[in-house]
Amino acid sequence: MLLRYVLKRLGVGALQLAGLTVAVFFLIRWLPADPVSRLVSMNASDEAYAQAAAQLGLDRPLLTQLAVYLGFRPDLEPGILQGSLGVSWVTGSAITQDILQFLPVTLELITISFVIAFLVSIPLGMLGALNPGGRADKGVFFYGLFAGSQPEFWWGLLFVFLFFFKLGWAPAPLGSLSPMSMAPVPVTGFITVDTLIAGQPRLFVEALHHLMLPVITLVFVLSGPIVKMVRQNMLRALQSDFVLYANCLGLPRRRVARYALRAAMGPSLTLIGILYGFMLSGAVLVENVFSLGGIGQYAVRSVLSFDYPAIQGVVLVITAISLLVYLLLDLVHAAIDPRISHR
Amino acid sequence: MRTQRCPNGQLNESPSPLQCAARLHPIARAVKRPGLSSAALSVALLAAAPASAQQVLILAEDVPAGLDYDGPSAAIPASQQGMVNLLEPLVGYASGGENEDGIIVPDFDTFEGRLAESWEHDATDNTWTLKLREGVQGCNGETFDANDVVYTFARAKSVSGAAPIGWFLSNVGSIAGFTTDVFGEDAAAKKLGDEVVAIDEYTVQITQSEPNALFLPVLTIFGLLIFDKETMEENATEDDPWAHDYVNNTNAPGFGPYCLDSWRKTEQITYTANENYYLGKPAIERVSVRRVPQSSNRAVVLRTGQAQLVTGLTPREYDSLQDADGVTVGGVTGNENLFLHMNFGVEPFDNITLRQAIAHAIPVEQIIQNGYFGQATPWAGVVPSGYPGYKAGDTQYAYDPDRAKALLAEAGYEGGEGLEAFADAFQLTYVAEKESTLGPIVNIVQSALREVGIPATLNPIPQTQYGDRQLVKRDLPFAINDQEKPIGVDAGYAIQLFFVSADKGGLNNMVNHSNPEIDEMWSKARVEPDSDVRTDILGQIQDRLMSDVAWAPLLEYRTQWAYSDRLQGLRWYPDNSIRYADLNVAE
Repeated sequence: MLLRYVLKRLGVGALQLAGLTVAVFFLIRWLPADPVSRLVSMNASDEAYAQAAAQLGLDRPLLTQLAVYLGFRPDLEPGILQGSLGVSWVTGSAITQDILQFLPVTLELITISFVIAFLVSIPLGMLGALNPGGRADKGVFFYGLFAGSQPEFWWGLLFVFLFFFKLGWAPAPLGSLSPMSMAPVPVTGFITVDTLIAGQPRLFVEALHHLMLPVITLVFVLSGPIVKMVRQNMLRALQSDFVLYANCLGLPRRRVARYALRAAMGPSLTLIGILYGFMLSGAVLVENVFSLGGIGQYAVRSVLSFDYPAIQGVVLVITAISLLVYLLLDLVHAAIDPRISHR
Repeated sequence: MRTQRCPNGQLNESPSPLQCAARLHPIARAVKRPGLSSAALSVALLAAAPASAQQVLILAEDVPAGLDYDGPSAAIPASQQGMVNLLEPLVGYASGGENEDGIIVPDFDTFEGRLAESWEHDATDNTWTLKLREGVQGCNGETFDANDVVYTFARAKSVSGAAPIGWFLSNVGSIAGFTTDVFGEDAAAKKLGDEVVAIDEYTVQITQSEPNALFLPVLTIFGLLIFDKETMEENATEDDPWAHDYVNNTNAPGFGPYCLDSWRKTEQITYTANENYYLGKPAIERVSVRRVPQSSNRAVVLRTGQAQLVTGLTPREYDSLQDADGVTVGGVTGNENLFLHMNFGVEPFDNITLRQAIAHAIPVEQIIQNGYFGQATPWAGVVPSGYPGYKAGDTQYAYDPDRAKALLAEAGYEGGEGLEAFADAFQLTYVAEKESTLGPIVNIVQSALREVGIPATLNPIPQTQYGDRQLVKRDLPFAINDQEKPIGVDAGYAIQLFFVSADKGGLNNMVNHSNPEIDEMWSKARVEPDSDVRTDILGQIQDRLMSDVAWAPLLEYRTQWAYSDRLQGLRWYPDNSIRYADLNVAE
């Protein structure tokens, strides 16, 4: 039953991806600029323009370009069906290679941040809900408002100023490792994992140290809405009939709270899933502040330079990951809520 | 775990030579005491180490996206920065001494040999015979000779890259055979003939199709740096016979002062000194350039001493660093400027009186003080004032709002009445990515124009869109532009680039300026062998451009850098890229 459900969801996901791939292909070609101009620069004679357009494959009919991109014209260039997303018009590198370099940086940053935000938010949200109107509840409410009141890049810059420049507790915001450290050979692309694989505990500690401030920034901002969501759902669960029944039976308060938490987790997990998908590209501001070369920065640079193959590749990969995250969430949701079944 | 012995005998787990230096540095020892956090310790180590080991950390907006000057990233300044440190030109400019900030500036009237030791010009048949330097070696001991020069020009003529800059510069310098025929179907036109030939192992002869004073200037530019033929051919493939992929993604093999150590695009590039460099091994052994997108972070890290040089700050940030301890801000009035672009092909900018009114309405001094914090000077011409052949225009447009109002009335728009019909044309366009620098400036311009009755609005657009509309479509009606730096150091080149009609050889005539008299004068100046006569014609052209208000030149702003006060030897080049071989760290 479960396997069938997963396969069905994957099948639907593949169709969604295919539709999106074609849609993005046409949509980006409506962007209000011609990418050839960036190549020709000062040498914008008609001949040089035609030469540059041919280099990018933009001299081909639109449908031929689509066929090449999808992989139906391997005689011209390899495409998606051959496992190629093309070559960046800015860096000249293969898009798959670029994405394999940038994506793990973002995945590592936001996954660690979400795990910590989750671990921080659940007890805080519970604390507020179990003592409504109390000091803890007011504190949680204030924190939720405070954390969400400013954009993440503002908090990031403030933390850099305070913890790096003033206090010297954090390293300079110069990326995953100090510029003078030799990065390990990438295996997974996740710097914390690769330093361990390379047997370099000193670099592992350094990587954690460098991740500290960006993670704190994201946790600070992300935990605001999660705390609020957990608190509200807990409050609602605590007022439901089954909790009233449990209280009437005289069950211990801790046990009742656990039942209520389980009921409150479903909507909170949905929020986390949506936020995770959003942060895949939305973490760009934090990446920018801390000089982390993540997929968000790659996406923004690609859009600004009208790098069609890179934009197409990034959208495809981020969408695929978002679909997988939503599938995973549905499975977890069903596991914690017996009212939901795989159909 | 890799363990290496430091030069001082100490064992080190890291292969970085910096770590060896850092462990023994007195400051590092001093901070190793209870009570200091590990972060503070690492800060102190990093701050102390690079200088003692003649290593520097540079923080920049970007690192090279590619190293091929005929490749897709050639127009990106960060990419050019990589090329000029790995590759070497045939010819360069001699030093012109230090300016008031201690920055060495070039003497544009004196060429000096680089890979070409000397040269002779035969005016009767327009040939240049270049005597090449002997004993020049690349990073792996490859030897430089005439084959490398011939290879470089053959690659340029193949126009096989995405953006054929090598061909373009050869064409600008009138090297025979480098015509637009190379873009046709005839494969023979893309092959190098006898226009560039090796006479012997260390002599090359290059033929021009006509006399052209730009021959030596184009040889100094990054788009004709010399490749090492041997390594390039080793990395060529059947699909890519000119090794564009290799140079774009792996290395640019040549005979420059630095060798590529490691390179992670959009993150960091590290160079090590070329032991074999013909001018002597550079003083800085190791240069790391780190991408730090936030300019404020670059400034903050410089202040802590962890970086030795930062680039690409906003004028406000440079100003804020003027009084910072241990930091120097230096600059040069080179070739960066700000001007108003008014499109001759769009109403109402085809009206010269209206253009004059606008030119008189701009408070240049206010822009210099508020936009550039005093680090700029009014621009009296349309060519960078330090370039050979520059002439301040006989006609100038001082800030005079009353005169602007009078001219506006004379143009038929008293008090701006009637201009509301041109709302789209009066959208003052600028590059959105430059908001932090241009934002305050466009607001001053907008207010000043509104004060005299011109209904300007603001229109920030992405850089690529701006480039497309400026270079290809040429349909930007009204814009403010701070990014035009003619890389050919010559007034004639700048004139051909921006003001000659497109069908008469104009290259980037973004305002669609077309004046048959100027085209005629330029066609004479272009092939004029007498430099005095040529300079005189170029001066007349510049006077005419100023009276036409072909552009409304506003100011020349200083190219600036902020750096450790122990860093010495900084030198300015017209491409605004730093050559690390010029630098050293005072002990």
